[in-house]
Amino acid sequence: MPDFEYNGKTVSVDEDGFIEDPDVWNEELAAALAKGEGVDALTDEHWNIVNYLRNYYQQFGIAPMVRKLCKETKTPLKRVYELFPSGPAKGACKVAGLPKPTGCV
Amino acid sequence: MACQFCGVQPASVKDISKGDDPIAKIDPKDLMPLPAPYDGPEYTPDIAELKDETKKTYGKSSTLDGVLAAGIPQPETKEEEAELVDKFLDGLHKLFTKEDNWTFLQPLMLSMEHCARCQTCVENCPVYEASGFNEVYRPTYRAEILRRLYHQHVKPGNKWFKTFQNNGIELNYTLISRLYELSYRCTLCRRCAQSCPVGVDNGLITREIRKLFSQQLGWAPKELHEKGTVQQLLVGSSTGMNSVVVKDNIEFIDEDMTERLGWEVKTPWDVKGADVLLIENAGEFLAWPENHGCTAALLDKAGISWTMSSEIAGYDGVNYGLFYDDVQLARVASRHFAIAKELGVKKIVMGECGHEHKALATIGDRVGVDLPPRESILTLVRDIVKSGALKLDPSKNDFAVTLHDPCNTVRNLGIVEPQREVLRMIAPKFREMTPHGIHNYCCGGGSGFAIMSGFNFNDWRNLVSGRKKFAQILNAFADEDLNTDETKKYVCAPCSNCKGAIRDMLDFYGAKEKSGIHYGGLVELVVNAMVDAAEPVLDWDMM
Repeated sequence: MPDFEYNGKTVSVDEDGFIEDPDVWNEELAAALAKGEGVDALTDEHWNIVNYLRNYYQQFGIAPMVRKLCKETKTPLKRVYELFPSGPAKGACKVAGLPKPTGCV
Repeated sequence: MACQFCGVQPASVKDISKGDDPIAKIDPKDLMPLPAPYDGPEYTPDIAELKDETKKTYGKSSTLDGVLAAGIPQPETKEEEAELVDKFLDGLHKLFTKEDNWTFLQPLMLSMEHCARCQTCVENCPVYEASGFNEVYRPTYRAEILRRLYHQHVKPGNKWFKTFQNNGIELNYTLISRLYELSYRCTLCRRCAQSCPVGVDNGLITREIRKLFSQQLGWAPKELHEKGTVQQLLVGSSTGMNSVVVKDNIEFIDEDMTERLGWEVKTPWDVKGADVLLIENAGEFLAWPENHGCTAALLDKAGISWTMSSEIAGYDGVNYGLFYDDVQLARVASRHFAIAKELGVKKIVMGECGHEHKALATIGDRVGVDLPPRESILTLVRDIVKSGALKLDPSKNDFAVTLHDPCNTVRNLGIVEPQREVLRMIAPKFREMTPHGIHNYCCGGGSGFAIMSGFNFNDWRNLVSGRKKFAQILNAFADEDLNTDETKKYVCAPCSNCKGAIRDMLDFYGAKEKSGIHYGGLVELVVNAMVDAAEPVLDWDMM
């Protein structure tokens, strides 16, 4: 498994850069992962989405549907793409430490 | 013979077992040109180079064409390599034994024995053509490797004579690891099989190679196996949704639809004795919720008695076994049939998912008896639209629409007209792609590629396997302004897998922002044309 290094620490990630163990996630790691997704600094708007994703994941064990994310965080999809240029699944979910989505999604 | 311009020697079939460097290279300059305004070099970048660490880990399996779809970690010793080759050889024998391959032995044998090497198929392969005729992607290149191995190692008779007659090939670890990767460079669209004058099916051969690797060596892409069929049979869905999550998601979709349409949409669960069991691809519930919402709305409006199932695999119509493994195929299909029987429904209706159609409607017949009837959502929607149960105003769909034909539904099952009858009634600016119907081109994501995105495979899919389709889409909208996103264009793709591939393709080329090209299913267009819908269901900002 490839490693992701940040601030002198190392975590295992898959070949797409998603962290292998969701439990090692922390805010410092999120900020470092965000840089790889074209997000230089995480603002409150970013955290609103990241926190929603983490809470949903902790409750249901998978990522929420995108429409639900938009509706419940009151963020239009266009804005999600502005915040996370690589999109909700590959960008926001990765920063929030969720595994890569599976199935035909 | 070496190319007279660049001096590169195209790979010969025997090269598959030789050398430590990739036997093929993809140069953007060689790829089939795209139509304007996507004809500049900025739209055809280099495929990302594999990282040194990746090349080291995946060793020989990363030396096919500089691309990696699945990869196999390089064995540490020659002994381990030899052991894997022996296992492969054992699997090769099983592939040609009735007891081990009763499902597909007959068509495989016909394809092994009757190829006249006429190469009629090659000009029909979208991957081969889009790659600029890269030799390793020629449909007969892959087939010829298996054919030579079959003649040398399996077919009875004088081994020396058979090898001489068929030119022979060296079976070693280099061959098997590259052949594994090569079996994931074909989308199983079967355009080659359709064009063959004697019915040789190179798509089937590719699929049987994948099966050998999966069933004999346990080699299968994790998206299809571990996260695919295994997860589906364990948790309920390849998406990872268990029954609690799927019900929560569907409740959200029902409420959202109710709000937008202005009448109640409600999905029934586990209703015994309902007429119809609806099985859709569960990807819809996460990525394209309107597709389920609109299907539910149409079934309700037509007064159909229907239900969904919350049993394991009952709410996910995918069956990735179709792409790589008979055992997993049979396990998933059997679940689907058992659930329908248990509920006592009159038929299964298959949602907008091509490979679900293929697995349930035809291949399923090979793995079960006394099976419940199955119907495509496409014919059912056609009947609903024609019945007059809906009040429709086609002018609500006042934008350019073209239709993508999913290979499994159209070429492989012959469901060609129903979706067109619907579009002619509801989409005034509908235009066909060229060619279309059974002569369609694959979206580039067939056979599981739409969900495989590890390493640099995404680049390969968007630049090579989806290239013909992207060109077709652009050509279908050539009479529209492709330099603005103000005029909307809609690619109707009634298949979850195709939608995923088309989404990624439009993202890759920036075609949504640049040209206003969107995509979606068929039912969304029908509901969008309904007079009594409070809000349009097509929300361009959400697409």
